[in-house]
Amino acid sequence: MRKIEDGTVIDHIPAWKADLVLRVLRLQRLAKSELDVSVAVLQNVVSGRLGRKDVIKVDRWRIDENEADILCLIFPTATINYIKSWKVFKYSPMVPDTIEGRIRCPELLCISNAEREPLTTMFYTLKTERMLQCRYCDTLLDFGKIPDFVRV
Amino acid sequence: MKAEDFAGRDIITMRDFSREELEFIFDSTKEIESGRPGGALDGKLVALIFYEPSTRTYSSFEIAAERLGCRTTGFSSPEKSSVAKGETLHDTIRMYEGYGVDCIVMRHNLMGAARFAADLTKVPVVSGGDGSREHPTQAMVDLYTIRKAFGKIDGLRIGILGDLKYGRTASSLSYGLSNYDVEITFVAPESLTTRKEIDHFLSERGVGFTKTKDVRDVVGSLDVLYVTRIQKERIPDPTEYERVRGVYQINLSLLKEGKKGLRVMHPLPRVDELSSDVDESEYAQYFVQAAAGVPLRMALLSMVVAK
Repeated sequence: MRKIEDGTVIDHIPAWKADLVLRVLRLQRLAKSELDVSVAVLQNVVSGRLGRKDVIKVDRWRIDENEADILCLIFPTATINYIKSWKVFKYSPMVPDTIEGRIRCPELLCISNAEREPLTTMFYTLKTERMLQCRYCDTLLDFGKIPDFVRV
Repeated sequence: MKAEDFAGRDIITMRDFSREELEFIFDSTKEIESGRPGGALDGKLVALIFYEPSTRTYSSFEIAAERLGCRTTGFSSPEKSSVAKGETLHDTIRMYEGYGVDCIVMRHNLMGAARFAADLTKVPVVSGGDGSREHPTQAMVDLYTIRKAFGKIDGLRIGILGDLKYGRTASSLSYGLSNYDVEITFVAPESLTTRKEIDHFLSERGVGFTKTKDVRDVVGSLDVLYVTRIQKERIPDPTEYERVRGVYQINLSLLKEGKKGLRVMHPLPRVDELSSDVDESEYAQYFVQAAAGVPLRMALLSMVVAK
């Protein structure tokens, strides 16, 4: 892949998790709808910080800040850089107050897991405790367990 | 504070209620018990939609609504409705709203169902229990009964015993008690102790609580022993139920170890966790508690249903 002039680089993704990141960001769908978008995925490359890591480079697409925040919550090691006119800008993620969709409730008997009800999951973030709390059934989910409940 | 402040309000979780609001509801309940006339909601229509079996909650809401002059509609079990044909909660709620009901009282087997229903309609939604999570109006009945028995709630030591993981009345009572200066002891086998979110909520509110498996550890220090049934229908693993069934049997001989004035409460129904030999004793408060269901729900309906 050529060097990116404008786009996004998501680095320090845990090894073999790039596919999950792509699905969280729905990048396949984006790539299909916007022909100019090119996606390069590097998997299991050597990393000083993580041992092994995945990297995703997306040309001509800038990640939305809210998406970036959610992604960094799901994968806390991930780092996100924007590229604009060849210059690199590091994004500093914030923990969002709420997360809608993207994550399913770990409680199977939560109404948000009922198949036919038209409902979007919603979680509040308890920042100090590093947990999510389901808006519907109150179930708590440790930040560290979020990847197990990503809804793609 | 006035009754109109509650108009249109959803009753989904006890965590939404302040002490001032609870005390207002209890004062209003007391007035109704003392003979305040009903009929305040003449011509209003209340939908009772119950996706799970219920005796006390369904009947007491029905009686409360009728005593206030309302008509009722709905169903007492999903088999008697289009739910049996696969209708979603979403469609059912929208339909009752379209029929012009003034309030929806609902019970559902799924957790958070009442919250979802409240999102769907402008009509006030009152939860009569959602899965193993909450049963707010039962907790109000429980707190009212404690206040009535002791003249106060502050300063009491309250033991909550039984299935604290799947029992929704235990959760809601714990949240309600967090408005008062009380000491709570949770008595449960390890596998049925309180869920993480209850512990977290109480800790955040600065409510002191302890946990034990053995009721004999605490019975001597309690003012109230709140007994709950092991929720057989909600324990996913039948072998787990077999391990915990019959683990507590509260009877007169145990209660005699308690201090003077100890009161035993139970949201009912009971199975074998509370012996009938307690029924006629000075400890028994659970039939008084059940009876309070009607005036308290009259008070609530008269406040949330817009005049």
